[in-house]
Amino acid sequence: MAPRRDAARVLLRIAFRNLLASPVRTGILGAIVLVGALIVVVGSSVLDSIDRGMRTSIQGSLGGHLQVYEARSEGALELYGGLRGESLLEPIEDFSKVKAVLEQVPNVKQVVPMGIDQAMVATGNAFDLALERLRGDVRRLEAGEDGPELRRDYAAHAAHVRRMVQLLRDEIAQAREISDPEGREAAERKSEWEALQRAATDAFWRDLDRDRYGSLEFLENRVAPLAMDTAFTFLRYVGTDVDAFFRAFPLAEVVKGERIPTGQRGVLVGKQYAEEWLKLKNARRLDQIKDARDRRGKRIADDEELQRWVRENRAGIREILLQLDPIRADALAQELRPALGAPAAEPLEALLGRLFAATDESFDGQYRIFYDVVAPKLRLYQIDVGDTITIKAPSKSGYFSSVNVKVYGFLQFKGIERSGIAGMMSVLDLMSFRDLYGYLTAEKAAEIRALQKSMGAREIDRERAEAELFGAADGALVGEARVAEIDEGALVKRREEERASAADLAAHVYSQEELEHGVALNAALILDDPRLLRRTEGDVRKAIADAGLGLKVVDWQEAAGLVGQFVTLLRVVLFTAVVIFFAIALVIINNAMVMATLQRVKEIGTMRAIGTQRRFVVTMLLVEIATVGLVFGLAGAALGAGVVWGIRVAGGIPAVTDLLYFVFSGPALFPRLGALAVGGSLAVVLLVAILSALYPALIAMRVTPVEAMATED
Amino acid sequence: MSIVSVEHVSKDYMLGKTVVPALRDVSLAVGKGEFLSIAGPSGSGKTTLLNLVGCVDTPTAGRVIVAGQDTARLSERALTELRLRTIGFIFQSFNLVSVLSVFQNVEFPLLLQGGQTRKERAERVLALLDAVGIAEHARHRPSELSGGQRQRVAIARALVTRPALVLADEPTANLDSETGGNIIDLMKEMNRRDGTTFIFSTHDPKVMAHASALVRIEDGRIASREDLDAARLAGGR
Repeated sequence: MAPRRDAARVLLRIAFRNLLASPVRTGILGAIVLVGALIVVVGSSVLDSIDRGMRTSIQGSLGGHLQVYEARSEGALELYGGLRGESLLEPIEDFSKVKAVLEQVPNVKQVVPMGIDQAMVATGNAFDLALERLRGDVRRLEAGEDGPELRRDYAAHAAHVRRMVQLLRDEIAQAREISDPEGREAAERKSEWEALQRAATDAFWRDLDRDRYGSLEFLENRVAPLAMDTAFTFLRYVGTDVDAFFRAFPLAEVVKGERIPTGQRGVLVGKQYAEEWLKLKNARRLDQIKDARDRRGKRIADDEELQRWVRENRAGIREILLQLDPIRADALAQELRPALGAPAAEPLEALLGRLFAATDESFDGQYRIFYDVVAPKLRLYQIDVGDTITIKAPSKSGYFSSVNVKVYGFLQFKGIERSGIAGMMSVLDLMSFRDLYGYLTAEKAAEIRALQKSMGAREIDRERAEAELFGAADGALVGEARVAEIDEGALVKRREEERASAADLAAHVYSQEELEHGVALNAALILDDPRLLRRTEGDVRKAIADAGLGLKVVDWQEAAGLVGQFVTLLRVVLFTAVVIFFAIALVIINNAMVMATLQRVKEIGTMRAIGTQRRFVVTMLLVEIATVGLVFGLAGAALGAGVVWGIRVAGGIPAVTDLLYFVFSGPALFPRLGALAVGGSLAVVLLVAILSALYPALIAMRVTPVEAMATED
Repeated sequence: MSIVSVEHVSKDYMLGKTVVPALRDVSLAVGKGEFLSIAGPSGSGKTTLLNLVGCVDTPTAGRVIVAGQDTARLSERALTELRLRTIGFIFQSFNLVSVLSVFQNVEFPLLLQGGQTRKERAERVLALLDAVGIAEHARHRPSELSGGQRQRVAIARALVTRPALVLADEPTANLDSETGGNIIDLMKEMNRRDGTTFIFSTHDPKVMAHASALVRIEDGRIASREDLDAARLAGGR
């Protein structure tokens, strides 16, 4: 209709010109709309990306899509641990039944048994390691091997142990000066001191070759326990069917070593856990300094924490020296001198001091020298691939159970390698988990029966467990007391037997049936099509009810516990902020438009008098504000897109904490601009703009032509 | 035939709870081509009468018939339509749309009416601007013009749709007497040229003198009606 079009055109013209006629007002309203659109675009882009990151992290590391656990459980399942430690779950007695039922549910691809818990791991000490090396040489010599190289190693390793004995004697000598020689434990202390004195004599080392095993036992049983730095660390693990685990969680990968062979016992230690807890402190600190410099842009010159790390590294040189026997120490010094440009005679200690005295200019070079020259000669991790470690945990029955398992490799989750939330997790075979958990497998029952036949052996076993449970100092005493009574030869034999049975156990291959018929604490369900999660969740519930399994079903987000709620929390925060912002915006825009309308009452009245219909006046006003909304909303959305792009170009939002690392599913969050975010922001600002113009429009509508007649006097 | 017929019209306003009668039983017929002045002191009811005739207000009692239509029976929309097609307005304080140029202000009613090409509109608007002597200011904004010039624009706007009736509420009150005289001359010229009926209110005796007929209002009642043209014819020459 031509008349309408002409009228519409002139009204649009008036609307636009009114906007231009009051640039300050338009600018203020526009700025509000722009900021609103910007917040919505950036906020929702970041949030969506976080949501995606969380999904990747949780689903790919432990969560799967759904989780089931015993419905009678006291606590809720929290895959990544909660405020009060591990979840209190009742066991699923027979996982195979659960698997049989749930695998039949449509869209369920895989059911993975799990048992998450924490256990203690002895990390050993430098003394033990040095003795272990010496023992290796002794074994070869006793077996009849010989040669200049073996002799040289043997001599070097013996010298290493001897040096450690001396260091230990010096340390304890200092301690004796401040202790009370007449105290209650004086007798034990005296005997310890005598043993240490003996091990430090020239005679002891001269006679080493006469009774190699005897001397070793003496060192291992009487001297090594005095080096009190034997430490425990806590290992968080998921006991699982390892093959199924790797199939279900594509992010999981072995970074060093290999997977646990199918059906065998073993552990894959979390890489990040190894980095934080098992790595040589000096190496760890170098890594941290490098990370802070590279990723967080810190500088040694002006960051207190980095300066402290450098200081601590210089003080930590002794730990490195202790690890080196004379041959290696000499070789290292020779390599370090040219690398550091040091004078020919500079001793190793001074060279290391030079190496660790880092400044911002020298750090990168020194870091390289450490890893290229020093690290290959050191044991970088207290527990390393190929070691067999003892894991202990309080079992269901109240006693401590312990298992020996081989470390097959280090485990990490792609993308979230450095997150403490997933990266702390180790993977343990299901059978070992069950041993630790304390549910008797048939095999364990047989072993206990066998042990019961030799009562003495069993008691020692128990004593040791207690000793290690209640602290190293006590343990040393009790151990020593027992040792005094027991023939050392028998002890050696017993130890050899233990080693043999452990080797049997480690080599045993369990069938899939054995793995599945037994206890699990929870099970992860992997779906064919994750989009059908809700429907499948219902189906799974029904199948569980039909089969009377008594299991609880939760989705991945709920199973993730506190971590899972993070996104929900962020969403609430953003939503609240946006709502508050737009509520304020609504009031401001409304006020400004009311003022503008009141100023124009006469003009509107005139237009009405000369024949403008009401609806045109209202339309004109709405067009005005909608134009502001659209133009500045688009500008805000574009600016938001620019911010999102800028964040990506600048390297993303850095994950400065563990939680963020996990939530971002990587070292930085790269927000992705969603069409929904842009469309949504425009819709929101337009809606708010129009809502806030409704009242002014109502005022405009009520303006009568009479107002035009009102005279100014 | 009268273009406006006011029959026994009363108009009351509510001032709080008291009823204030603005017009009491007023009857008036205005013929085609008249140049009628409504005179009276402030508050006498001039503006109320003009509002009723201009279809921007409706009577409490009685009938107002404009161009054959009883305004009390028309909807708000139809009244607006009637104003657009039949009546032109000239205001005391000019009331131009500040963001539109002189040309666009005059063109505005034509656009509301629609149905003309851009060329037809431009010809009509320019012809009128020429007639009111303001063609050289076509591109200016109202704020760039003097009071007299603005009122010329308002006259052009009132006439652009070729209305049957033009209402002017104190059109010279905001102008000095010389300019005011010019404006009245212009209105009169338009009245003569096209035969457009003009009704304007004023309390300036010099302005009244130009009218063809003079209606005096006092206290909401018509005090007198004089036919000045007839008097002039009788008294002059």
